Amino acid sequence: MSEVIFGSKIMQLLIAFILVSTFMILGSTRLYSCVRAFGIQSFLLACVAGIVAYSTGKNDIYIVALLTLIIKSAVIPYIFIYIIREIKVKREVELYVNISPSIIIGGILVVISYYLIRSISIISELSSLALSASVSLVSIGLFIMISRKKALMQMLGILIMENGLFLGAISLTNGMPLLVELGIFFDVLIGVLIMGILIFRINKTFESIDTDMLKTLIG
Amino acid sequence: MILQLVFQIFLIIVLAPLLSGFIKKVKSFFQIRKGPGILQPYYDLLKLIKKDSVVSNNVSWIFHAAPIISFVAVLAAGLLIPVYITQLPLGFAGDLIAVIYLFALARFFTALASLDAGSSFGGMGGSREMFIAALVEPALMLSIFAVALNVGSTNLGFISRTVSGMGIDAMSPYQILAFVALFIIAIAETGRIPIDNPATHLELTMIHEAMILEYSGRQLAIVELGAMIKQLLIFSLLANIFFPWGIASQGAGVSALVLALLVYMIKILVIGISMAVVETSTAKWRLFRLPELLSISLMLSFLAIVSFIIVKGG
Repeated sequence: MSEVIFGSKIMQLLIAFILVSTFMILGSTRLYSCVRAFGIQSFLLACVAGIVAYSTGKNDIYIVALLTLIIKSAVIPYIFIYIIREIKVKREVELYVNISPSIIIGGILVVISYYLIRSISIISELSSLALSASVSLVSIGLFIMISRKKALMQMLGILIMENGLFLGAISLTNGMPLLVELGIFFDVLIGVLIMGILIFRINKTFESIDTDMLKTLIG
Repeated sequence: MILQLVFQIFLIIVLAPLLSGFIKKVKSFFQIRKGPGILQPYYDLLKLIKKDSVVSNNVSWIFHAAPIISFVAVLAAGLLIPVYITQLPLGFAGDLIAVIYLFALARFFTALASLDAGSSFGGMGGSREMFIAALVEPALMLSIFAVALNVGSTNLGFISRTVSGMGIDAMSPYQILAFVALFIIAIAETGRIPIDNPATHLELTMIHEAMILEYSGRQLAIVELGAMIKQLLIFSLLANIFFPWGIASQGAGVSALVLALLVYMIKILVIGISMAVVETSTAKWRLFRLPELLSISLMLSFLAIVSFIIVKGG
């Protein structure tokens, strides 16, 4: 069932573009372009959900797709841009790992997650491409959280991980029950709001959202 | 066979300056200038051929041999790349690996000649060229390999024949990722703006121009023509591997060949226009930021291969 849906050409294209958008986040040095790439990724994810809804004929997945479209690709990027504008942060992403090594590490993570998925022996029942893309999204999101200095990028990293989990869930189960999905969306939205407030507080206390500064003592 | 070989060489040599002139014209259109005429590169080449070369006393035979070796290597690569017909004149002798190595040979000798004259500009250009080549060559190879894996052959003529037979099925993720990767490589290989600026001489950021600064007259004409031919060939690779529709196959009639030739020229011109758009809409990058762009290209072609293996189950 799921191989029929996820084996189709358009689905393969969408999933490949989701991976590419992750690399866009990994490869750009401006906060705005990172947020824009995240918006694109969420839009593609909404398309994936829409196709799953269309081919399974379950109406509640349409609602999930619509929620993804509204919350993840419009509201959350808007909150990001609002935060960037309000705290007048320097618009460059500051890095612990430089751009080109981090792109290469991203590629290695994709390969590793592919091998992890391949070693699961129930492979015939699920879509290997969607699942390995989801695992690589989770690991690249984690890598972004580790390797970027700004607290905003850590927020973005956790959202990428969430996107990866969403892709994995929808490719494994053809959509979880609507109640669960609604709960997750609510969690994500509240999480973003709380993280936003936290970033405001960090900025107020340290006059910077550089997480490097959090290690220093404030008298 | 011989006829086709001669015609392909003739076609490549005749079309290459036209493409250069066309791109210059489109660029000047975007910059609201009149710009030189489309035929200007021909006049330049003719003028250069009529003049004598001035050569430093300190150079060795490499300086004299390098333009000819590079030119012949690029031209030989042109016989391994499908232009308007999928049947390759030298198809029995090599495949895409040979093409990549012929480009590398041309590059190697140009860089060697740039060191030979002992000028500081030449050495700088040579070292920059090799710095970029180290990133460009693996990406070029991987991106074409992604398509070759899909088709199951490394012969470029066979690849473009098979892809053109696939129709809309050819639009798979690996094909598109590899196309974007190869487009970035094409910008780097033809020395266009985010990487190198083809329009200026005597600027500290130049790469290709710095290498050929010591050449003059007839030798300069050969070097310039070689660079133009390389540009045409890279565009042909882009056109005929990823959008081969309309290419003539073996044993096509005269009218089909003429049609294929027209389609080919339209495709090349469209790629030329998109290059000019990229060039006018971006600024030249700092040299040490170039690895970022090229590693994106490398990673895209890598992703193309990985997604091919995932989808097809390796």
